Amino acid sequence: MQTLLVEAILLLILIGITLAIIFGKDLMTAVIIYCAFSFITMFLYIVMGAPDVAFTEAVIGVISTIYFIMMLRSIDRRCK
Amino acid sequence: MKKVLVVLLMVIVLTVPFALFDALPAIGDTASAPNNHVSTHYIENAIKECNSPNMVTAVIVDYRAFDTLLETTVMFLAGAVVLLVLAKKPALKNRILIPKSKRMHKDKHGNPIYHTINKDVMITIIQPLILVYAVYVLFHGEVSLGGGFQAGALIAMAYILDVMVIPDKKNIFVLSKKNSVALAGLGPFIYTLVGIICMIGGGLFLEYAKLPIPVHTAELHSIGILVVEIGVTIGVAATIITILNAIMERVTFDDDNY
Repeated sequence: MQTLLVEAILLLILIGITLAIIFGKDLMTAVIIYCAFSFITMFLYIVMGAPDVAFTEAVIGVISTIYFIMMLRSIDRRCK
Repeated sequence: MKKVLVVLLMVIVLTVPFALFDALPAIGDTASAPNNHVSTHYIENAIKECNSPNMVTAVIVDYRAFDTLLETTVMFLAGAVVLLVLAKKPALKNRILIPKSKRMHKDKHGNPIYHTINKDVMITIIQPLILVYAVYVLFHGEVSLGGGFQAGALIAMAYILDVMVIPDKKNIFVLSKKNSVALAGLGPFIYTLVGIICMIGGGLFLEYAKLPIPVHTAELHSIGILVVEIGVTIGVAATIITILNAIMERVTFDDDNY
């Protein structure tokens, strides 16, 4: 029951984060919030009992965020 | 009319999983179908057969070694395709970057922005820690959590830190575009080589117990898993560095003849 509650809270946070990514005006903000998305997903994997997958998710989430930020820095196109 | 159709479709798509939610077994349910056929065999025999306390590694690299071999190959192909797509010189109207002279972000002292990252902390403290942790994860993959994929990603992260903090060619260790693709191919090559050596020893493809090395049979599984994990590490790290090189290459393409 407690696991289900934690899972429900994490999933609700995920939905909120996803809406923030979709409706955010600034691209850089969207990228940073996307990093938070993979962070919350990592907790979700830990709750489900898969620490191996959570470890991979943590590392890959950081690397994909770095790629997004690199491209954003070079295109210099931020929505207003 | 179209909107009504879209809403109807979404309602149908969303209702089906919710209606089926009760039919799915609970997490960790011992009576459910996936927990009763093959996983019981893994749980009971993983330590005995594969000499690997971490069951996840035993399943990934030993029981389902074919799966991981093709996964590594897919990663290599993905990196190569990203390089192919991004390393093509784009048409003038398709260029999205602004020239470097206008792009230079300056801080309030007039320095380029990347000099404000604390180099000393990044390179002298964080980067060695990441590398040490990567090696730890690689060699303890069969004991605790972790393994080839994570270790490769961590090594690639150390490389990215190096490139991003000092963007010139002053790094200790620079992988060019060609070398990184070749290294990414080396990962699946090592993996396949282990399988072929097993066949030379008289076993099936990737049957670690038949490796022609004079040690105890239980140790052979550990050695096989370790060599395969090293191959996966090289493949993953080189693939991530390939994608990084592709992004860098694209940026320089857009810069000249603006």
